[in-house]
Amino acid sequence: MLEIHDLHARLTDGREILRGIDLSVNAGEVHAIMGPNGSGKSTLAAVLAGRDGYEVNQGTVTYLGRDLLAMPADERAREGLFLAFQYPVEIPGVNNMYFLRTAINAQRRHRGEPELDAGQFLRIVRAKLKLLDIGEDLLQRAVNVGFSGGEKKRNEVFQMAMLEPRLAILDETDSGLDIDALKMVARGVNQQRAPDRAIVMITHYQRLLEYVEPDRVHVLQGGRIVQSGDKSLAMELERRGYGPVEDAA
Amino acid sequence: MSAVVDFPVKPEARPYLEAFGRDRRRGDPAWLRGYRRRSLARFAELGFPSRRSEAWRYIDLRQLEQRPMLPTARPTPVVTSALATQLAEIGLAEPSYRLVLVDGKFAPELSSLDQLPSTVRLGSIAAAIAERPDLVRSALEAQSPDRPFASLNAAFFAGGFVLDIAPGIALERPVEILHLAAGDAAGALYTRSLVVAGQDSRATVVESFAGSGDYWRNDVIELRLGAGSELTRVTFVAEGVDALHFGETLARLDEASRLSGFVLLAGGRTVRHDVTVRSEGAGSRCDLNGVFLLSGRQEANILTTVDHRAPGGETREVFKGVATGHAHGAFQGRITVRPGAQKVDAHQLSRNLVLSPRAAIDTKPELEIYADDVKCSHGAAIGDLDEAALFYLRARGISNNEARRMLIEAFAQEAVDLIEQAPLREHLRSRLTRRLATLEE
Repeated sequence: MLEIHDLHARLTDGREILRGIDLSVNAGEVHAIMGPNGSGKSTLAAVLAGRDGYEVNQGTVTYLGRDLLAMPADERAREGLFLAFQYPVEIPGVNNMYFLRTAINAQRRHRGEPELDAGQFLRIVRAKLKLLDIGEDLLQRAVNVGFSGGEKKRNEVFQMAMLEPRLAILDETDSGLDIDALKMVARGVNQQRAPDRAIVMITHYQRLLEYVEPDRVHVLQGGRIVQSGDKSLAMELERRGYGPVEDAA
Repeated sequence: MSAVVDFPVKPEARPYLEAFGRDRRRGDPAWLRGYRRRSLARFAELGFPSRRSEAWRYIDLRQLEQRPMLPTARPTPVVTSALATQLAEIGLAEPSYRLVLVDGKFAPELSSLDQLPSTVRLGSIAAAIAERPDLVRSALEAQSPDRPFASLNAAFFAGGFVLDIAPGIALERPVEILHLAAGDAAGALYTRSLVVAGQDSRATVVESFAGSGDYWRNDVIELRLGAGSELTRVTFVAEGVDALHFGETLARLDEASRLSGFVLLAGGRTVRHDVTVRSEGAGSRCDLNGVFLLSGRQEANILTTVDHRAPGGETREVFKGVATGHAHGAFQGRITVRPGAQKVDAHQLSRNLVLSPRAAIDTKPELEIYADDVKCSHGAAIGDLDEAALFYLRARGISNNEARRMLIEAFAQEAVDLIEQAPLREHLRSRLTRRLATLEE
């Protein structure tokens, strides 16, 4: 589903953040990318989602057989790539429901499907809310405005559930959450596990992985993946920290 | 013919003097003929405002100087399909008392006034001149002698309306005034109107302006709010692409009255919306909010002057400006608190979005405070769309154009949402949405 080969990326000021990432993610898999602060985790997520401000100076990314880097950010999303933001953006004046319906209908148009009317949309919303145990009041407010940290992350997971992506990238969705919110996020991710869908969780801590069992764990350090393994790698990291991994590499 | 005059005349005023000389105005009573002559003399003396004058620095009057737009003697308008389209675009969907002016002239066949209670009088200014000359005369004489285009308006106005609401009356339906322009020949349309809100009365007046063709609309209106009255006044300017629209409002607020003004400037090549509010009675409240949405080579200027002459007054202003293409917008907001007008509480906010490198917006708040126990503040900002918000929307699959439109709409709607009546708010929201659909094309 996702093939990253020798990916290098730098900021517009010239600082190179990604220095040769190789990663292969297949449909049905859940991958965890772990690493210390400043290792390039969020940059990788931003480059995959198509955020401005980064320059890819080497390497390729293939998504569902297409050149991902050639697509604008909105087209990537319509093609089923979803990024759960580490810091969801507050958008005053844009109602959460209206925003989501616009997003879903943009995707449906892209796929040649009929748009959802307000009634159809609401029925799907209610079903998903129930599944995730989220209150409906969240949807009547402006996008993320005045939301607590936990509410913002719930809103990200809810959007993921609504948009049903092919590839979901969760950028530190677990950071700053109390245990209840963390469990909710984990439940949301587990519900999304499906044979035709891949999930990439970017995280600093091993904590989320207690609730969502990854198929593969990668350690990102200094802009490269320095070690890959199964879930036992995450537990090992928890025990001895990131330092020795670098030595081992 | 050339007019023989014994007062100083600015060169740009000459064609107007000549037009006045040709105009017989047989229907006018003697007092009005005298008033018109005095007003014309005043205009001739003042000429067009200089761009050095603060109130006119943001509007380009050169084209008007080079090509005088004289009043045209238009025949009684025929209802055409173009007019029907204009009506449909700007008219309210909810039931209203509707008065339609075509080229300034009252069009009874398009109006619906039959449900109006007997305590409310609404009709053309021509009828009011004949039936209630004292009322019209007092309104005309309240006008400041320092406004050249209002003086020109006084000399030439032929149409307009008068709305008079008896004390204690609360009108549930809005009064809707639709100003259409039939667009047969290039020329100027001068309309003059008056709204009298009797003591403790309550009413909503929605004025919408639309038209096609090449015209200059010069509209002057006075709003008189009696003690304890509440008047909501919404102005929607959706003039034709080549039109010039100069609108001047003078509002006088008596004790404990409340004026809620809202303006949406969406159409017209050059639009100037100038509102002066005089808080004459203690404890009056004035809300002035509005939006301009400009593209192409449009220019628009909103000017507000709130003059607190009495204590305990309250003013709230929220104006949003959006400009793209080569458009130019300006907001000038002055709040004056005179000596003795203690406990005045005034706040003004002007926020603006400039969406293209060739577009520009000027914003100029002015507070003049001559009393010591007051609360007055203002805020002004000019910026571009929030990049982080734009990316967030795009990361959910929403195209760049649609994401921009959503953010612009959210920005502008904040001012529209201050309209308290839900049906009216929805009406303006939908007009806003419609304008935004083509703003960035």
